[in-house]
Formats: sequence, C-alpha cells, structure tokens
Amino acid sequence: MSGRRILAIAGRILRQFRHDPRSVALIFVVPVMVMALVGYLVGDSGKEPLPVAIADQDSGTAGPVAIGATLAGALERQAGVEMQDARDAEEAERRVHDGEAAGAIVIPAGLTQSLLEGQPAQITVIVGGIEPGLDDRVIGAVRLGMVEVIAAAAESGAALPQVSVERVPLAGGAELSTLDYYAPALVVVFGFLFTFMLTSVAFLRERSTGTLERLMASPASRLDLLLGYLLGFIGFAMIQALVILGYAVWILGVHIAGPPWLVLLTLVILVIGVVNLGIALSFYARNELQVVQFIPLIFVPQIFLGGLFWPVQTLWTPLRLLSQVFPVTHAVVTLREVMVGGAAVAEVAERLLALVAFAVAMLLLGLLALRSQRA
Amino acid sequence: MALAIEASGLVRTFGPLRALDGLDLEVREGELIGLVGPNGAGKTTFIRVLAGLLGLDAGIARVLGEPPGRAVSPSIGYMTQSPALYEDLPVRDNLVFFGRLFGLSTAEARSRAGELAELVSLEGKERSPVRTLSGGMRQRTNLACAMVHHPRLLLLDEPTVGVDPVLRMRLWDHFRAMNHEGITILITTHVMDEAERCTRVAFLSDGRTIASGPPAELRERAGAPTLEDAFLALRDSGAEP
Repeated sequence: MSGRRILAIAGRILRQFRHDPRSVALIFVVPVMVMALVGYLVGDSGKEPLPVAIADQDSGTAGPVAIGATLAGALERQAGVEMQDARDAEEAERRVHDGEAAGAIVIPAGLTQSLLEGQPAQITVIVGGIEPGLDDRVIGAVRLGMVEVIAAAAESGAALPQVSVERVPLAGGAELSTLDYYAPALVVVFGFLFTFMLTSVAFLRERSTGTLERLMASPASRLDLLLGYLLGFIGFAMIQALVILGYAVWILGVHIAGPPWLVLLTLVILVIGVVNLGIALSFYARNELQVVQFIPLIFVPQIFLGGLFWPVQTLWTPLRLLSQVFPVTHAVVTLREVMVGGAAVAEVAERLLALVAFAVAMLLLGLLALRSQRA
Repeated sequence: MALAIEASGLVRTFGPLRALDGLDLEVREGELIGLVGPNGAGKTTFIRVLAGLLGLDAGIARVLGEPPGRAVSPSIGYMTQSPALYEDLPVRDNLVFFGRLFGLSTAEARSRAGELAELVSLEGKERSPVRTLSGGMRQRTNLACAMVHHPRLLLLDEPTVGVDPVLRMRLWDHFRAMNHEGITILITTHVMDEAERCTRVAFLSDGRTIASGPPAELRERAGAPTLEDAFLALRDSGAEP
C-alpha cells in the first residue's frame, strides 16, 4: 500500500470532477430537487383544495344536530377541500363524471330525522374510482367532517349518530385490486424509462462511434433517420408493452376495461415523443454516464408530479401547469381511464392530443438536434 | 477527363481557427490523389466538406459536378479515420445495412457483401460481430462499407493510421485495384511513403494547397530526394500550386 499512490488516485478523481462541472452540478442539484419535491408532496402546505360537490337533501331540520348542514360546515372549514353546492344527486354525479369535482357527497333527505329516531343512516360519497389517491382524499375529508358531526352531537347531548359512509366509484369497483390501479402507471413508467434510455444511449453511440457521420454522408435524410429510429423503437416498445400487459392480465389478473388497442395506441404516441426526446438530449451528453445523469432530471419530476402517487389536482398551480407539459401525466391518466374506467377513444381524445403535441414538439427538437450535426 | 472534385477558394473557420484558408484543388476522374500535410493542415476538414458534412464560410466546392450534399452522396464512398461500424452486428449485417442505406435492394446488398468480404480478405468472418475482430479487420470492414454501393469517388481519411505494415500493403493493393477499375480516390495521409503510391499528390499546409503534381515532379520541383523534403522545401519557400 502506498499513501502517495492512493492520494494520486483520489486527486485525479477530484480533478476529473473539476473538469466536468455539469456532473458536479447534477450531483448537488438532483438530490435537492428530489428532496424539495418529496417535502412538498408529503407535507400539508401549499396544496390546492380539491373541489367536492355536495348535494344536501337533508333540509328542514335545524340545530346543531342537523347532520347535513353540520357536515357541510365542517367540510367548508377544511383547507383540503373546496365545497360546491349541487342541486341533487344526479348533478353531483355529473360533476364527478365531467371532472368538475373530485368527489361528491350526497346527504339523503330525512337523514337527521332518521338519526333522531335512532335509525342508522348512510351518506353516499361518489368518487371517480380511477385514481385511488384522489378518492382516498375525498373519503378522508368526509370522515374528518363526520368526526365534527359526532362531536357536535355529543356536545348537544343527543345520541351519537350512527352514520355510515358508502363509497360509490363511477368506475372500477370491488372486483379491482390495488394492482389494477397501478398497472397503467407501471406500463407508462417502463415504456418511458426504457425507451428513453435505449434511444439516448443508442444515438450517443451513433455519434461516438462515427456511424452517425457515415449516415449523414449517405443519401438518407434527417427525417429518414428519425423515422427509422422511431419505427425500430416503436416495434421494440410495443413488444415490451405486450409482455408487460400480457403478464399483468394473464398472470396477475389485471383488468383492461376499455379497448386494448387504445392502450397500445397511447403507448405508441408516448414512445414517438420519448424516442425524439432521447435523440435530442443525447446531443448534450458526451458519454453514457452523462446520459444516465439525465434520467433523474427528466424522469423524477414526472414520477412525482405526473399523478402516479399524488393527485395532480392538489398541486400548487405552477406545478400543476408544469405537470400538464409532462407526457407521463397524460399517458397515466389516459391508461387509467381506459384500463380502469373503460373509457372509449372520444373520452380520452384530449389527453391523446396532448401526447401527440408532445410527440410533434419532440420530433422537431430531434430534427433541430440533427441539423446541428452539419455545421 | 471530367473533374471529380473542384475546390476554389475554400474557407472554413472554427471560431478563431481557419481550418481551410482559401484552399484550391482540382481532381480529374480516375485519379488516385493523396492529400499530404501535417496535423491541422485541413485535410480532414476538406474531406468532410466534400462528403457534405461541413458547410463553407467562403469558396465553391463541386463533387462530380454537383455541390456536396445528398444529391451526389450516392456516388461517394466515405471512409472515416477510425472504423465507424455497428460493433454488435456481424460484418455482413454492417455491409448489408450500409448497402440498403445507399439504395441497394436486400438481395443486391447481400450479394455485394459477399463480394466485398472476399475483396478485403474477410472470408469466414462475415458472421462475426465487429467487436470480436482485430483492429486491422475492422479497418478492412470499414473500407468495405465505404465501397458497398459501387461509388465513383472514394474519400478515404487516413485509412492506414494505426495499421501494421502488412495490412497497410494489402489496403494499398485494394486502393490501386479500385483505381484501376476507374474509381477516383482521394486519400489523406501524412505518411510520405504512402503518398509515393498516388498518381498525384497535393501538399496542404495551414488550410491551403501549397503544391500539387505527380510525386516525382514534386521532388524534382523542390530539388529534394524525398517527398518529405520536397514538402518542407516547398512549404518554406511559400510555393504556389
């Protein structure tokens, strides 16, 4: 063992870092970015309230034990929800269906009267049933409100109300498992991550081995090159998606309520964008290590802000707008709506258009990046 | 004989560096011309301009009567300095791929791959992945890829750098054989011994052509016993081409 040699090696490593300021910056920037995002998402502050519709048909009973009014008041005071009045149960359900509300509470007529008579009663909470994180927040808010109702009843000396909360999902249901809700996100994550890694590394190799120069000196146009790459990677990504979906459906028993071709179409559009993103970004990397450094920078914000674990609706407005730029957000929502909600193409057309816009933007970025090859 | 390459007053800068500084050169079809000069003389920049990979700041370049670019690229074979190959693919797949890229059908490209493997002495290695080949075999595969589409003009950028003397001889045999078949070859080198094998040599220095002619004529003009001495003498005398 030689101290001099050990110091020489350590010194060389530090000198190498000094000559690679981007890697050094990423080493500090990425963990801080991830910690800031996790801190924000796990914490309570800075969240936008969830719109929740309430159809309170329990009118005519006054006093502190008026269950509907007390529950509505308790929910109004919660920072996490923003209450909307709905005329009746149908309107409340429509608002959830149309995405105007994250959930809806239906307080039936005569609820308070039933409770005063010692009869058990039920409150219905309508949720989308597609995004468990979102549904749980609505149910959680209702349960918290019910605690206030019970406390108010206890304070007034009335008998404790026996109210149950019935969760009515518009899509999905009891036959679906947790895996059914997360399978769409997993398919998107694998599709994005592996396509991005493979394309960026493959294109980086084209550059570093000189084959790109050879391609550029051939009659192939830049568009030929990009479309060839697209076709190759779409084929590969489709096989990957079929393997993942096949395993999920036949081995794990995951349901696909909507048309399976729509799942594949969504993935094709996503992959087109990601292939071009990988090509464009590979021009900013000198080696495979630098490509790997892009992954946390490009991928982590999409995982955290794309609605995989935390609902997009509750994000601080600038972050929510940012999440709408991310292809992962649109792909996850689309696949959830198709696989869990059984949506048809018309119902997810807007999301698909957003993915198409991303794909077109990335195709242009890829062409621009290739243009810089001939200087 | 028609001109294969016409270059007039070529200027190309990279920031403060003038890689080409008014380069003039004409190459007739059927010539085997060597571009000779030290590192930084502008040889690779000139070849990349001709291959359509670099634009010009000034001057006019024509290749086989056309401006460099996609219109003329089907007639050009470009061999990069270090092997530009898909290492995971076998030799044959590399050849077939580049053949198809240049417009050959799959059947034509396969048949051509077989011919070329024989021509560059790679028989029996067609199915070997490039990464398993020796440096010399890779360089021969690289040359074969540049020739796969029967180009009329071959641009070879220092094809023998890092190659052992035996292989260098063999590669030169290939170059001469192709030239006898009528292919125009422009080859860059800073090995004077190789330059002696060319029908004509152009001396490049600081992005300009300082002299051009058959090797014997250049030696005579400079009154020097070797091409190396001729280059130094002509460069120092500030000769005009």
